[in-house]
Amino acid sequence: MYFVLVSVLACLASCHCFIERDEKNENHCGLLQHWIESSLVSMEIIKRGFHREVEITVELSPDVHSAVRVLLLHRWPRGVYVDPYQLASLSDLSDWKIILDSTIDLEGPAHKTTGFVTFVYPTPDGTTPTLLKVTIPIHGRYHEPSFVGETFTSVEIEPPELLLWTEKCVPLNNVEPHDVMEAPCTHHNSSSCQWVKQQHQQKEQGPVSVQFPVGDGSLCGPVCGGTLLVTMLCCVALSKHMWEHRII
Amino acid sequence: MERLITKLTEKHVLFTASFVIRLALVAYGDYQDKTMVVKYTDIDYHVFTDAARFITEGQSPYNRSTYRYTPLLAWLLTPNIYLSMVFGKILFIVCDVLSGLLIYKILLLKGLGTEAALRVCSLWLLNPLPIGVSSRGNAESILAALVLGTLLCMEARHLMWGAILYALSVHMKIYPVTYALPIALSLRTTETRSEDKKGIKSLMRFIRSFLNRELFLFASVAAGVFCMLTALFYYMYGWEFLHETYLYHLTRRDIRHNFSPYFYMLYLTADSGWSQWLGLAAFLPQLILLLVASWAFHSDLSFCCFLHTAIFVSFNKVCTSQYFLWYLCLLPLVIPHLSLSLKQGVGLLILWFAGQGLWLGPAYFLEFEGYNTFLWIWLAGLLFLIINSFILMQIVSHYKPTQTPQRLKVE
Repeated sequence: MYFVLVSVLACLASCHCFIERDEKNENHCGLLQHWIESSLVSMEIIKRGFHREVEITVELSPDVHSAVRVLLLHRWPRGVYVDPYQLASLSDLSDWKIILDSTIDLEGPAHKTTGFVTFVYPTPDGTTPTLLKVTIPIHGRYHEPSFVGETFTSVEIEPPELLLWTEKCVPLNNVEPHDVMEAPCTHHNSSSCQWVKQQHQQKEQGPVSVQFPVGDGSLCGPVCGGTLLVTMLCCVALSKHMWEHRII
Repeated sequence: MERLITKLTEKHVLFTASFVIRLALVAYGDYQDKTMVVKYTDIDYHVFTDAARFITEGQSPYNRSTYRYTPLLAWLLTPNIYLSMVFGKILFIVCDVLSGLLIYKILLLKGLGTEAALRVCSLWLLNPLPIGVSSRGNAESILAALVLGTLLCMEARHLMWGAILYALSVHMKIYPVTYALPIALSLRTTETRSEDKKGIKSLMRFIRSFLNRELFLFASVAAGVFCMLTALFYYMYGWEFLHETYLYHLTRRDIRHNFSPYFYMLYLTADSGWSQWLGLAAFLPQLILLLVASWAFHSDLSFCCFLHTAIFVSFNKVCTSQYFLWYLCLLPLVIPHLSLSLKQGVGLLILWFAGQGLWLGPAYFLEFEGYNTFLWIWLAGLLFLIINSFILMQIVSHYKPTQTPQRLKVE
């Protein structure tokens, strides 16, 4: 009898513990949901030409814990690229870290390459200020010449997706309507974590359009003709001149 | 005796000063890299160092993207990792000053006086372009030293050493392979033109003139060294070595803007069926000019190699400012024999810089301001070719070799 009583009490006690932990978990997950809903991500592209800078500003909710990690997931189109070597030298000077999902072809034209994904960790050391700024240098690729008279081509750059993670909301559940996504925990890329992703509808900003000059394909004939004519004329003139002044 | 001492002092002053200037710039470059956003060191230097780092980790240097050089260079720069990052730059500036010394020795061998030779080689030693290039960490000075070393050995008739240095230069960069024809023509047995027979007998005699001991020695040593190096690195790094060091440069179709007159044509036709034929058509002027230059000037090897390199660079499908150093290091060998006045010489120099400036303007607006200046860049590229051709014609007209071979000038 006593044994039954003790076991029932033990069961009740452990159930109470689980419920408490669950409640705490739900509290933290609720907070996480609240933080992700109240955060804002904005993007601005500065500079001109083939070398630009993407300035990303993240405004987090003021009551965000320092135990929260932030991740910016950026899906880049194939019309631009980042230079991993430039990023490596920049990472010594900046407080944000970045990892790429694939090797980047630094020289290929746009139509022969693919887009890529970057994971930016604005606060790798764990401190989470409420205003984060990250500036990523990007470079435009050469595009196919236009045969319809267009002098510029547009590349659409989407603003990054904001992801948050806290160890106090594990496992992640009840964070609807937000999605849960797996991504590297830190820039060391040694383990994977479950991150909460901000919903698409919440994004203040649509894609930003960047223009790059392209060659005029309709001039192909005159350009080829002109180039071959001038090079052959120079070749003939120089050959004739050298032959006339040859040293026997 | 006093005059000798003065001369020695002058020579030592010149070479020491040029080394010190370069060393000071290397030190300054280190300071600028650490404190300013715009770096002094060239991106290529980081490419070499990263490749050297891969070697120290037992891997292939070609793991470093855009490393398109011989593994020998990465091996040479492994002290960058073991000792100090600045080792490579010191090596490059030493080779740069060595190039100046080689120019000096070649000029002396060709019969120029000491003072005149020193003045001419100061055009290289105190020239801001090679000073800047080598102190920024470009490896061009190693190649300049190898090519000048080859020419010095050929001038002094040390054929075996000439062949070894020639093989090393071709191993480092492909373009010295074009020197093979003038070298072969200069080493063949020259006969007196007593018989002026045409036809098959003359052709047979021409072919037989190539079969002599000296040419055979040069060809076999050069080919042997080159094949040995190729085999060694192929064994170590496989197909990637062949592709990145040689094939890439031979098939390179860089559609991004550069000084070449062919740039826009290749960009617009990159994906069309005409691309291969146009590539071949672009190769023809280069080939024709190299053959004519070899035949016309092979008796003066330094001048011939200068013309070869200048033609190769100007008519190439890709041309960047680094390539200019390939023929600029040979220009001091040509200058003493030019009958151009100072005004004419400076005029040609200004014309050359103006040609570059006219290209750099629209190129800057394209790359950094985003304007569509492709047409202007194309036209500037054509103009630059015309200017280069004109300058080469002026140099050829005013070149007076000091040796006995007669100049033929059709009136």
